[in-house]
Amino acid sequence: MPVVELRSVKKEYTLGTTKVEALRGVDLEIERGEFLAIAGPSGSGKSTMLNMFGCIDAPTSGTVLIDGVDVARLSDRELTRYRREKIGFIFQSFNLIPVLDVYENVEFPLLLKKELSKKDRESLVMRFIAEVGLSDRLRNKPDELSGGQRQRVAIARALVTKPLIVLADEPTANLDSDTGTKIVELMRQINELERTTFIFSTHDARIMREAKRLVRIEDGRIVDPGIGSPAKEA
Amino acid sequence: MPIAIKLALRTIARRKGRMALIGSLVAFGTFLIVFGSIFASSTASASRAAIIGKFTGDFIVYSARSKELPSPFAFQTPLPPIRDLERVETALDAVPEIAAYAPYAQNYGVVQARRDGRTFDLPIIYYAIDPVSYAKVFGALKSVEGDYFGLSADGIAAEGKARGGVMVSAFQNAQYKKNYGVELRAGEDVTVLGVTEGGVNSARSTVSGVFVPERYASVFNYINFMDASTYAAVYNYSGVSSLPESLDKSLAKADSGEDAIFALASDPGAGTVDVSSLKAERLSGATMIAVRLKPGASAKDAIARIESDPSLGVRVAAWSEASGFYAQVSAGLQAFVLVATALVFLVVAMIFMNTLIINVTERTTEIGTMRAIGAERSFVRDVFLAESLALNMAAAAVGLVASGVAALAFSRSGVTLPDVVSQFLVGGGSIPIRATPWPFVAGALVVALVSVLATLYPVRVATGITPLKAMSGR
Repeated sequence: MPVVELRSVKKEYTLGTTKVEALRGVDLEIERGEFLAIAGPSGSGKSTMLNMFGCIDAPTSGTVLIDGVDVARLSDRELTRYRREKIGFIFQSFNLIPVLDVYENVEFPLLLKKELSKKDRESLVMRFIAEVGLSDRLRNKPDELSGGQRQRVAIARALVTKPLIVLADEPTANLDSDTGTKIVELMRQINELERTTFIFSTHDARIMREAKRLVRIEDGRIVDPGIGSPAKEA
Repeated sequence: MPIAIKLALRTIARRKGRMALIGSLVAFGTFLIVFGSIFASSTASASRAAIIGKFTGDFIVYSARSKELPSPFAFQTPLPPIRDLERVETALDAVPEIAAYAPYAQNYGVVQARRDGRTFDLPIIYYAIDPVSYAKVFGALKSVEGDYFGLSADGIAAEGKARGGVMVSAFQNAQYKKNYGVELRAGEDVTVLGVTEGGVNSARSTVSGVFVPERYASVFNYINFMDASTYAAVYNYSGVSSLPESLDKSLAKADSGEDAIFALASDPGAGTVDVSSLKAERLSGATMIAVRLKPGASAKDAIARIESDPSLGVRVAAWSEASGFYAQVSAGLQAFVLVATALVFLVVAMIFMNTLIINVTERTTEIGTMRAIGAERSFVRDVFLAESLALNMAAAAVGLVASGVAALAFSRSGVTLPDVVSQFLVGGGSIPIRATPWPFVAGALVVALVSVLATLYPVRVATGITPLKAMSGR
């Protein structure tokens, strides 16, 4: 069963008096463990599609199934819980909580879950901070870290709940080229290690090459679903 | 520590400049409401004590025939005398709550003084008192010349015999000097004149002393004192124990208006009274009896006992009714303090609410991120409520401590106000500050309530932020 399935998904916005069709009947299936990039020019609908995957936006029509559940049927509270349990987010601007240090930022989603003991939480947090290579930065606040380090914290935060899917919206856009490459490499290592599904949007050609599958989107339509064509060959 | 509280405290620390400003406003508002309440309640308490102690007693017994409430200003329309004073006094003696009482009357007349063969007619308004009982209720007048009707403190305690005479206020004496070129001197003989229904009566008397009022100088500077025996001699009080029933009925008709009064002329009930049938009765002339209660005694119980016997022919007015607008001044002050502090808090609440809204707006991405990664709306609400309460309660604590320090400082010296203000509030002098726990508890509760109310709208804005805002925070 696909972890993500879009069926004839359309999304329309109204900007002033103008109706904008962000997605025009998108069908897409993403399997568990994929390392998938969504590529396309600005305004093509990449972010809108990512928002659908993340249960933070609803389609105007069509169906979004996450792990087989039609998310349109979920209430706001159920969607929140669903995101907390199934989805990890990595943002373009890192979006760390500025008043919390590295350890606390990574621990934050676990505190929201309220399921683990302090010891178990600590163990998980330390493991993922170690995975992103920031064990020596535990008590640093976000404004004491470089862009790359911040994005590593964001990756650890996204992974610490062991989500089904990690969504990354242009995760390298605010990083220099080398750092961006290292971040994507890190995500890929984790993908292979944890079997976590990674879906990220990008229009950076070098990043696209790192993806195992590349979905191309233009004007709200998928022009290439990337099936059977590894991204590196694209 | 719960994560919501940790976030709240860290955010306050991070935005310390803005938060310090808001905290200062809340602390100042708390100080105003708490110390303002303490000041208002202390003033009300001091005002009550001063009015009861120097003006009215705990309540005033007066004739049931009176159409007016007894008042310290009732000189223009003197109240009817209490008919059977001895019987009323016997009844008061039997009321266990009563510590002391003082019959007295208000009236005005003329004091004639002689200088070098000339006679000076000096107008005077006065209380006619029994010096011993008056001193037991209100304290003896403070003489600056002569003495208090020849009574020492021991003499008052032993209920010694007072010397008859007149006591004139130092202010009044200065007015005599200014307007008539003559001052009354302690020990000098004078003639007291009073206008009665039969003409003008006079009595020989002596100036016992010159006094300065301890409280309410704005009133008692103009009021002088005369002992009851001199007063009785001036007015030669006597009356009849009861009027014929037919006359009473006819007089009752006159209440309906001027025409009814003139109609009495042709009313046989009013016109055919057999004077020889009327039984003579001695009247005291006292129009009021000021009553002081024992400490902790219930005024309500005492009044109920007095009013349970209508045949006494008296009614009772509580101190607050009898003191005219003086009691209303302190009530008005309390209302003013309440309204002023409410306005201050409204302004503080508005500023606080605006600051929180700015905070919410600045933290849109942060809130959106928390929502995206699984924080429920209630978590966002808790963060902002915790932030608001932590800041405001800390600021309130500062305000409460400042109020406590101010109350402690002023409890020793009292609050000194301009004399014209303190005259109205407490009859003059400084206002002693007495702090009770209640304003502190109320202040903390008000701040907590205002904090929550001022946070409602910003919380609504914050919880309305969708996870999408996390994506748009570029």
